[in-house]
Formats: sequence, C-alpha cells, structure tokens
Amino acid sequence: MRASRGPAVRIDRATRVQLLLGIVCVVVSIVAPAAVGSAYWTHNFLVVNLFVTVAVLQNMLLADAGQVSFGQGAVFGLSAFAAGIVSGLWGYSYGLGFLAGTGMAIVLGLLFALPALRVQGYYLGFVTLSAAVVFPELIVALNDLTNGINGITRAVPSLAAPIGLGLSWIALMVMALAAGTLTFHAILRNTRLGRQMRVAAVSPEAAATLGINPGMLRFIAFTIAAAGTGLAGALYVPVLGFVSPYAFRVDLSIFFFFSVIVGGSGQLLGPVIGVWILYLVPNALLADLATYRLLGYGLIALLIMLALPDGVIGSIESFRRSRRMRTRIPAIAVDRVLSWTGARPRPAAQAAIAVQGARKTFGRLAALDGVNLQVAAGQVHGLVGPNGSGKTTLLNAISGLIPLSAGSIAINGTDTTRAPAYRVARLGVGRTFQTPRVFEDMSIWENLEIGADMRGGDDWLLRMLEPFRADWAANRPDLLAHAQRRVLEVLRTVASDADILLLDEPAAGLSGEERRDFARLIRFLRDTLGKTIVVVEHDLALVWCVADRITVLDAGAIVAEGAPREIAADPKVRALFTGSADA
Amino acid sequence: MDDLLVIMVRGIGAGSVFAMLGMSFNVVFNASGILNFAQGNMLVLGGLFAFLLLPAQPDALHWFMFLPLVVGLLGLLLAVQGFITLLPLRSSVEQHSWLITTLAVSVIIGAVLLIYQGTAQQTVRSPFPAIHLLGTRVPAAYAICAGLAVLWYGALRLFHTRVLIGLAISALSQDLDAARAAGLRVRRLQVTAFAISGLIVGSAGYAAAPVMAIANDSGISYVMNGFVAAVVGGLGSNLGALLGGALVGMLSFYAAYQYGGEFQNAVSLALLVVVLMLRPQGLFGRQAARRV
Amino acid sequence: MLRIEALHAGYGRVPVLHGIDLSVAAGEIVLVLGPNGAGKSTLLRTVCGFIKPTRGRIHLDGRDIAGLAPEEITRRGMRLVLDGHRVFPELSVRDNIRLGAAFRGGQPDFEAIAGPALEMFPILREKLLTPARDLSGGQQQMLALAQAFAAQPRVLLCDEPSLGIAQALIPQILGFLRRWAALGTAIVIVEQQIDSALAVADRAVVMERGEVRLSGTAAELKRDARVHAIYLGLDEEEP
Repeated sequence: MRASRGPAVRIDRATRVQLLLGIVCVVVSIVAPAAVGSAYWTHNFLVVNLFVTVAVLQNMLLADAGQVSFGQGAVFGLSAFAAGIVSGLWGYSYGLGFLAGTGMAIVLGLLFALPALRVQGYYLGFVTLSAAVVFPELIVALNDLTNGINGITRAVPSLAAPIGLGLSWIALMVMALAAGTLTFHAILRNTRLGRQMRVAAVSPEAAATLGINPGMLRFIAFTIAAAGTGLAGALYVPVLGFVSPYAFRVDLSIFFFFSVIVGGSGQLLGPVIGVWILYLVPNALLADLATYRLLGYGLIALLIMLALPDGVIGSIESFRRSRRMRTRIPAIAVDRVLSWTGARPRPAAQAAIAVQGARKTFGRLAALDGVNLQVAAGQVHGLVGPNGSGKTTLLNAISGLIPLSAGSIAINGTDTTRAPAYRVARLGVGRTFQTPRVFEDMSIWENLEIGADMRGGDDWLLRMLEPFRADWAANRPDLLAHAQRRVLEVLRTVASDADILLLDEPAAGLSGEERRDFARLIRFLRDTLGKTIVVVEHDLALVWCVADRITVLDAGAIVAEGAPREIAADPKVRALFTGSADA
Repeated sequence: MDDLLVIMVRGIGAGSVFAMLGMSFNVVFNASGILNFAQGNMLVLGGLFAFLLLPAQPDALHWFMFLPLVVGLLGLLLAVQGFITLLPLRSSVEQHSWLITTLAVSVIIGAVLLIYQGTAQQTVRSPFPAIHLLGTRVPAAYAICAGLAVLWYGALRLFHTRVLIGLAISALSQDLDAARAAGLRVRRLQVTAFAISGLIVGSAGYAAAPVMAIANDSGISYVMNGFVAAVVGGLGSNLGALLGGALVGMLSFYAAYQYGGEFQNAVSLALLVVVLMLRPQGLFGRQAARRV
Repeated sequence: MLRIEALHAGYGRVPVLHGIDLSVAAGEIVLVLGPNGAGKSTLLRTVCGFIKPTRGRIHLDGRDIAGLAPEEITRRGMRLVLDGHRVFPELSVRDNIRLGAAFRGGQPDFEAIAGPALEMFPILREKLLTPARDLSGGQQQMLALAQAFAAQPRVLLCDEPSLGIAQALIPQILGFLRRWAALGTAIVIVEQQIDSALAVADRAVVMERGEVRLSGTAAELKRDARVHAIYLGLDEEEP
C-alpha cells in the first residue's frame, strides 16, 4: 500500500466487531473446557475449531472469490491422510508429515482451480462434489498406500501433553490457526487483492476493464483456501491420533458449505456460528440419539435457508443496518473534482485509438461490418446510431471484452487486436457500463479504491477526496442516487489513471440538471486532465454539445463522420434517426 | 471378448438408470434452471418403497400392482420438494438458494434412511427371471430399466411436442419472458416439471431395486453419475442423457472389471472433467435458447 | 379500457419513466413514438408487469393491476407482444398459436382461435407444422401477433412490430392491427421510426427521456416539426 492512502489496512467497524467476537469464540471454546477439565468437550471443541478454520476459508472462497466448491472436505482429508501416511506409515517425523499434508492440499486446490477456469457456478459445484465423493473411495481403493479402511494411527504425544491450564501445544496450535485464519480473512478483504477478488466474483467483465485477470484470481483464491485447509487437515492427525477414510466422506464437504450459508455467507463471523449450530446443536441436543443427528442437521440447514436466506449473522447484520438511522451522506462532490487545477496535459499521440476494418459476426448476423475509426488523443468522440447499430459491440471490442472476427485495433500505437480486456485496461483504457457497475458489497470508498488499485502513480484524486473518506468508507453505495453512481463509476476510472475513457450511455437515467453536470464533467476530463473520451450515447443533445467529432453507425457500418454541426445537418443522419424521409 | 460383451450389456442396463436420472435432471433444469441434488436419494426412495411394498417372493402381479403407486408417490414427493425449492426464489434476489435446499433435502432423506435401517443395505428380489442375451445372463431389472429409459425418452418427446402442458414447459426453456407474456403460469409449470421428474426417478428406482444399493449413503453417487450422463450428453438434451447414461454405465462397468469397483466413480469423475474441459456443451448440447 | 397515471419505473436503480399518463379506449390505436432510449419499451414492460412500477397506477377496466405478475396480467385480458419478433423457436407455428390460448384452459377449436389471424397471414397457414425458428423475421412477427390474437385480449401492447422486418411486410402487419382494433380491441403500438405506423394510428404521443413530450392525433403530429427536433436533440438549450 502506498503511503498516500493512509494506514496500510483499515478494517471497518462492523468487521472489527465480528472479528473480535470470532476470536473470543475460538479462544473461549478451547480454554474453557480445558480449564474445567472436561476431556469430552476439550476434544470436541478442538475438532470444531479445525472445522471453523476450513469454513472460514470456504467463506472466503464462496463470498469473496465467488467460487462454488463442494470439495473442501476432500482437501482437508487429503492433507490429513498425507500427514498420516508420511508420519504414521512411513515413520517420518510429524513435522515432515505436516508439510506433506499441507503441500498435497495445495496441489488438490490447484486441481480444483483448473475446471474453475472453464466452468462456474453449479458446474464447478458438481465437479468438486464428485471429487469429494470419489476421494474416500480412492483412499480405500489404494490401500497399499493408505492402509485403506483400517485407517492410520498416529499419536503425537509431545504435542498432546498438557503444558498448563489443561491446555496442550496442539490446543494452542488449533487456537492460533482458527483465530489466525479469521484475522487473515478480515485483513484480506481490505487489501488490494481482496478487493480485486470480490470485484472479479461479482462481475468478471467489469473486473477485466479494471485491469484484473479473473482467472488468475480464481487460482489464487483456491490456493489460499487449500493452503489453510491443508494446515487444518494436518493438525487433525495429532488432534484425533487417527485418520479414517470414513471421516472424510462427501458429507463433510457439504457440512462446510452449509456452515457458511447457515452462518451467513460473506459475514466474517458467519462460519464460526454456522459450524457451532450445525455441529454442536445436533451433538448436544441429540447426544443420546446419534442416528438423529444427521436429520437434525439437514432440517436446520433447510429451515434456515427458507426462513433466513442471508444466514444467522447475515440476517442480524441487515436488521442492524436497517435499524440504524440513515444519515444523509455528502453527495459525491463533482464541484470539488472540477475545481482541481493542477493539470498536466499529456503529450498527445496521433491517434489514441485506431480501428481498422473491424468485423464482428454473431452467427449469421454481422454486428460490425468493416468499421474504421480513428479517435484523436485529447478529444471527445461521440458514437451514435440506432439500436443494434453496433455501437456497444464496437466499444466492447476496443475494451477487449469480445474478440473481433476480422480487422485490427491499436491503442496508442500498440496493437491490441487479440489482447484480453485486462491487458487493454492496463494500457490505460477505462470503461463504464450502461448500468453502472458499482459494487454493492463494498463501501463507496472501496469502490473508488479498486480504481486506484489498478495502477501506481499519484493518487491525487483520493487525496483530494480524503475529507469524505470517513463517510464514504462507512457507507454502502445503496445510499447513492443513480446519477451519483454514474459519477462514482467515472471517478473510479479517473482514479485508475486511465487516459482513454470509454463511456457507454452515461446520460441514461439522468435528469436535466444532472446531464448538465455530467457534460461539465466530460469537458473537465478532456480540457483539464487531457483525457481521450469515447462516448456512446442516445441522448443526441448531449453529444452535439460535448463531442469534438461524431461517428454515426447503422447496421454495423459507418454512415457518416464529422464535426457535430455537419452531422446534425446531414440528411442521411436525420432520416436515420427519425425514420422519416421529410426530416 | 465375452467379458467385454457382458460389460457392455450390463453397463447399458446400469447406465439406463443414470440415463433416467439425467432425463429427470433435464426436465427440471429446462423448466427452471435448477439441478435437483436430491434426485439420487429420491431414486433410492423408489427402491426403498419397492422393498417395503413387495413381498419377499414377489410375483409379476405384485410388481405391476405397486408400480403405479410408487411412481405416483414419488411424483407427489417431488412436487412438494419443488414447491419448497421454488419458495425462496419468489422474493429473494439470492437465486442460488436451491443449491442448499436441494442438498439439504438430500441429506434429510439420507438421515431418514439411516434412522430407519441404519447402515444396512436392503435387497429386493426380482419377480422376473434373468434373461439370456447374446449368450450372457442379464438380470431382468437391467432389461426393464433399459426399456423404461427408452420409454421415458419417447414419452417425454411426445409430452413436450404433443401435450399442451408439455409444450408450455418447453416454452419456458425457450423464452421465459415470451412464455410469461403468453400467460403461462411459470411456478405451476415448474412444480409440474418437478412432479414429472419424480415419476421418472420413481419408476427407475422401483425397477432398479433388485440391482441397486438401497442404503442411506448411496444417493449422492447416483446424483453424480446421473449428472455426468446429462453433462456428457449435453445438459437439457434427453437424447444426450440417454446415450450419455449408456456411456457412463459401460465405462464404470469397465472400470470395475479392469481396476475394481472402487474406481467406478473415479472414472465417471474423469469423464466429467474431460467433457467439461473439451466440450462443455456436451455431445448434443444445443446453443443457448435465442434471447433477443 | 387502459388508463395509466403518473407512472414511474426503472431498471434496478436507473430511473427511466418519470410520471407517464396515457389512456387507450376500446377500438383505438395509440402510437407511442420517441427516440432511442426514451423509455418506450420500459413503459410497455412496466404496464405488463415485467418491471415493478416505483409509483403510479395502471388501471385495466377500472381495476388497478400495478404490481401483478405478467402472466396474471395476460390472464386479465392485456397482452404484450415483445419486441424482436419473439416466438418459441423450437415449436411449430401451430403449437405457438395454441400456446397463446393455453391459459384459457380446455382444448379450444384451433380454427376459432387462429382463423382470422391465419386469414390475414396466409403464409402461416402454409407453414403450420414448420418450427418457428425456420421462419423469416417478418413471418415470426406475424406468428407472434397470431399467438397474441389467440389470447383474445381486450388490450394489446405491441413493441416495435416493424423492427427488423422487410419493408414490404409492414403494411400487412399494420393492416392486421387495424382490423383487430376494429373488433373493439384497444391497441398501443410502440415505434421508433416516426413514419412507420402513423398511418394506422388514431392518436400518438412522443416520449423523450421518460416523459411524454407531445401528444395529439396522428394527423397533428405528422405535421409537427417539434417531433423531428426531439428526435434529433435539437429542441432545447445546450446542456
């Protein structure tokens, strides 16, 4: 983190409270049973806290990275078995087993990430679920290696011996792991990596236009989750002193997933509460009716999903937020931005964007049919045309979101015809969408930060807006009116230091006053900041007054190009927009 | 060579169960975009009902008498499940609650089975003698399942092209907004689709009872193989499910013969991953319905 | 028949309609014009229940239907024909038409529900068993109208019926709508192109940025220069 952004990581108050509660739960649940000397509960809570660790990472994977994995139990089990095999069957030290277990877990996590590059959602869920079904079967089948159904016995007395207050080294390790994982999750969410992960999960498309490679982030997320789950799996060996394939059936994977949902997906404390409810309630209430535990657990999961779709903590959190008085937050200060004067005009290249012979076909339909477009640096270039004329397709092609069927695109002289969107974005191309891609699960401030996350350099914009930081960091964008969200999205691209801005129908949904403000903002971006701007817009009145040059498209081809006055007077253009010969 | 023939014939028989599961996935998926994770345990319930209703030494009359009862019961059960699954989708913006609710129903059925019969595995005797086919002996249940799978394929085809409700359900998958504009009641049709999927798995479970594992933990592996059959064939395509099921069945029998029964699911998983990486739309996957 | 008062609606947080008033009487054709992005399609989709209005009333035969699901609104006698000639591509022409009447229950006589439409569009009768995906765009639009006709609605809303259709077919389609209105159906047509449907309309309104800017008889608007100015963004002070 750069110094200009203040302290490295700021965790918001709600998250801090949940983190604190979570750590208290972990510590008390381990210390209290040991202090009163209940061997049964001491043991049970060590297992619970290992499960908490896995569930916290499952929460990160699901809510932050948007990946549906039903296979985290297999990752956990593989680590436990690898540790058991190396240290139990092969006779090496437990330390080596611990490393082997964690290492194998990471390998499996990477294997999960491979299909995640290709498929998402329930497809990925099914692949990982199948892996969880197959895992214990393979453990049994490969009994030469794994000891099969007999399992592996491996006690680590040095770790299990009490060292005071009834606690053992292993208890301290479990405590440190569970509390550490929770803390890690809280911090991750407030780092650049964590923000980018969440953006890529909500909208891979918008993420790519912010220079984020969504595939890479999926890999990272699976690796982090697997590493932490592997640590927990490796600790499982000394906690139980025994590993059996039956402990790692698909039910365990489903249990981790349910825990996250029941606790409240995306809530820091959620997995802790989820594991407690789903593990402890059936075990405590139905202690004498072992066969009913599974039923109790299934019913709780079903009922909570039906009654509290946001989960327990999620529901408490949204109740708390709805109760809190909504103070009016200061509007996003366009005037403050416009008053900025330290302009550094950039050396203008000949053509910021050069499109040659662009063709794009969808099936039989040619959305773009041989389009040539030159956008001069430092100009506002309007793209207009009827519905379906190919304006947005052209914008998407320039952004790298869709590949051209033929033709070429260059940005500031660099050929980007085949570059993916995140590469194009890193060349300094910012982008807004027809519906503003404002991320609801992030604070207003974070929505700006993910722009600044993209590139180095001077965060003059964030520095200037610093007085608003406290308010914006404490509030979600759901408090903002539509026009403000539009401005927020534009400011984000400014914060990313992009020098070419592609705006897709920015005036849609703005009132008269708001359109005038927006026109001022566009002129400021061009005149003071030296940005190059391409604007696709239906609102012709706005285009006539802000554009330096206008290109008119119809049916994927260019009908006319020129200065606004020429275009407005062109009979072809008039007929095109009114559908009337006597225009 | 003879062994391979046995593998093929029995593989197709077992694969017919996967094919019917695949088709039952498709019916619900096409109407609602939901994949019902509980479908495997519903199949097991079909088998359990056969165990409960049929006498120890059943004859053909018994078999035919209880068939419609079990099929109807599963249809009803799935309709209720469908109703519950669709409830949160009405209001919530969280459109993936079905992942949890269908899995939870699956867990609940497994738990009930556990309470009822522990970890034991029930067996049902077939009233029909084994048949001899191409010089091999095939349990009648496999032949019945293969016949049923083809029958269901034909019935679904007729239903979706001839019957007004069937047409309406396939209209949902082709253009949801246009279907609503035409006044089709989406939720009711979706519950109907759940019910039909229940008829399919009910008949499959009942017919396959003599050759399947009626146990508390066997549902999930049926779900998995049924899903692989559907994906291999192309999710949404019943012809794909029919052929995909046969393919999965033969492969898993071959794996069992070559490497041992514990590897059956591993081979299915490998097949699933290969198909998803190379051809995610499956063998007969159609292009996404036209949305202008 | 249909009366819309002070209707506000939008997509998610994007407000699109800012207080629309519009009414249509039985047997009348009202044309809604406006440039791209004016909110015309949003208006139809809101009236038919696909978008929940944020404010305002929608009365069908005097009863407020705002907030009902689209399928229920269709069942109460108001039918939307979506833009882009949307039909069920895998179903035959005949089945597409049958589904239009499916919600009325029973097994109605096909000739009774489809006859008049097939008479106007003889090409459809020739292709009754053809899957709809194999029809041309214009034939699909005819089919979409025939399907709506089978529902026998009292109010018909038609979103850009001439969009993407061969010029030669447009008179046939508009002629059908005129005949349909003569049976006592209230019809609202949304069109982008000014000239396309003015000839068949009784009244027209021009929308811009979610508001009704002009309204009058079709003949009045045909002569009004302000209509073109609105389309070209030349009717106001520079923003």
